Amino acid sequence: MKKNTEKNAANAADGVVVIKNLTKKFGNNIVLDDVSLVIEKGKTTVVIGPSGCGKTVLIKHLIVLLRPSSGEVYFKKRRIDNLSEYELNRIRTHYGFLFQSGALFDSLSVAENIMFPIRQHYKITKRSGVEELVKIKLMMVGLDGFQHYYPANLSGGQRKRVALARAIALNPEVVLYDEPTTGLDPIRADVINELILKLQRGLGLTSVVVTHDMTSAYKIADRIIMLHDGKIIADGNPEHIRNHPNPVVQQFINGRLSEEDLAVLRRSGVDLQTRLTPRDSEQ
Amino acid sequence: MIEAMGAATVEQLGKIGRFGRFVWQTMLVSARSCLVPGTYPLIWTQMNIIGVRSVPVIMITGAFVGMTLAVQTYDQLASFGIEERLGVLINVSVVKELGPVLAAVMLAGRVGGALTAELGTMNVTEQIDAVKSMGTDPVQYLVVPRVLSCLLLTPLIIIYADLMGVLGGYFVSVILKGVNSQPYWSFSASGVELWDVSIGVIKGFFFGTAIAVISCYKGFTCKEGAHGVGQACTEAFVAGFISILALNLALAMVFKGIYYMLWPLKSLI
Repeated sequence: MKKNTEKNAANAADGVVVIKNLTKKFGNNIVLDDVSLVIEKGKTTVVIGPSGCGKTVLIKHLIVLLRPSSGEVYFKKRRIDNLSEYELNRIRTHYGFLFQSGALFDSLSVAENIMFPIRQHYKITKRSGVEELVKIKLMMVGLDGFQHYYPANLSGGQRKRVALARAIALNPEVVLYDEPTTGLDPIRADVINELILKLQRGLGLTSVVVTHDMTSAYKIADRIIMLHDGKIIADGNPEHIRNHPNPVVQQFINGRLSEEDLAVLRRSGVDLQTRLTPRDSEQ
Repeated sequence: MIEAMGAATVEQLGKIGRFGRFVWQTMLVSARSCLVPGTYPLIWTQMNIIGVRSVPVIMITGAFVGMTLAVQTYDQLASFGIEERLGVLINVSVVKELGPVLAAVMLAGRVGGALTAELGTMNVTEQIDAVKSMGTDPVQYLVVPRVLSCLLLTPLIIIYADLMGVLGGYFVSVILKGVNSQPYWSFSASGVELWDVSIGVIKGFFFGTAIAVISCYKGFTCKEGAHGVGQACTEAFVAGFISILALNLALAMVFKGIYYMLWPLKSLI
């Protein structure tokens, strides 16, 4: 017990983002229940879990897009969940956030999307200077030459890459990825995985990735955390998770329902279906 | 039942509180943004979308208001042989009440709906969260330019509506009904004061602000999905429309009070 406490204290000292006893409720619905987590600097932490288990809610708390019902969030040892929006804006420039949908501004071109944070926070007066920065960011995601395209003209994978270029526009220390490979074919998903690895290794970024894509998780993770019913039920390196004794973890990582659930699913509604067909209801 | 009523009251009070906080935040950030040159291009863009593109529809509204008033009142005045005073009746009604209110209602429909739909879609597609995540205040970037554009341009748009209303009334009265032009204008000039025109224009500042703030708030707080955005647009229009009518009544009472205070004898003449 004492060893564990010492280990947590040491981790907390290394942690770039730390959450302590975080609980989030929407009405009476408890989405996150007393979650504590230390995000280590320079590492890729992957949060897995079934849909609706609170992964996105968790990642939004790391940048305080959502405020906790109770608990605390720290960035570099400074408590940030109780800051005003004005103070938070300064803190948020240390983060990059890749949204599940990309969240590119539809009315702006690719270049203007990436220019947005640069113009908001850098004092570059020359347009050529901003364009040079945009070009560098697009080269990092392999999309140089797409400056004048609009989000509507891009494929799903390209949109995610542009969103990633925008997320790293301010040279953040922490990049948060919300389902980066969802909706992409395996090849495009692998491109995103490679980009996440490239940014982490090349720039030394701290990454937090929310996903339910296990191929992606095994490829990019230094550490995997599994959320279930608002609680962390597994935490360790990919090998540890792969051999985790908890059956819920095993079901999730192998993508299989339990025998009980499967039996219920196969049975449910079949009796009614055989008793009442659409033709019967017409009569 | 008492519990349900209490819960509903708390919920409504919460909504009013959130709206009040949004209005307060918008006012503070607007005041601060006036001193930031970076905001000016955003305001300029919104002025084009909100103001310039609204001019044709507002002019049409104003013209029809003036023409309809002339058609409706001509017979009654003509039966007393005082149809030359038609100009006073039409022009006072247009510049003081109908021009500003109907122009504002048209703006609430055209601009308010578009603002709510745009911001609502940005909200449900996480674009507002994206603005926040990049360390930018969404109120400063998205709300302030829209509110300041509406605030500055609605009075100008009302002047257009008034002008077209006056011309519309002239067209029906003088050109179609054959009222003598010279007395028509001279009665109008003596009956319509600068005060009347000013009231209409000043109302524009309040109407414009109300339309923009309500529409932006509804966009920022809309529920997810196409249904959520559609519902927010409807609510924004209804709330905008009612607030225009309520503000019009309140401002009419205030301006009447000021008028009696400044010129106590005029009302007796």
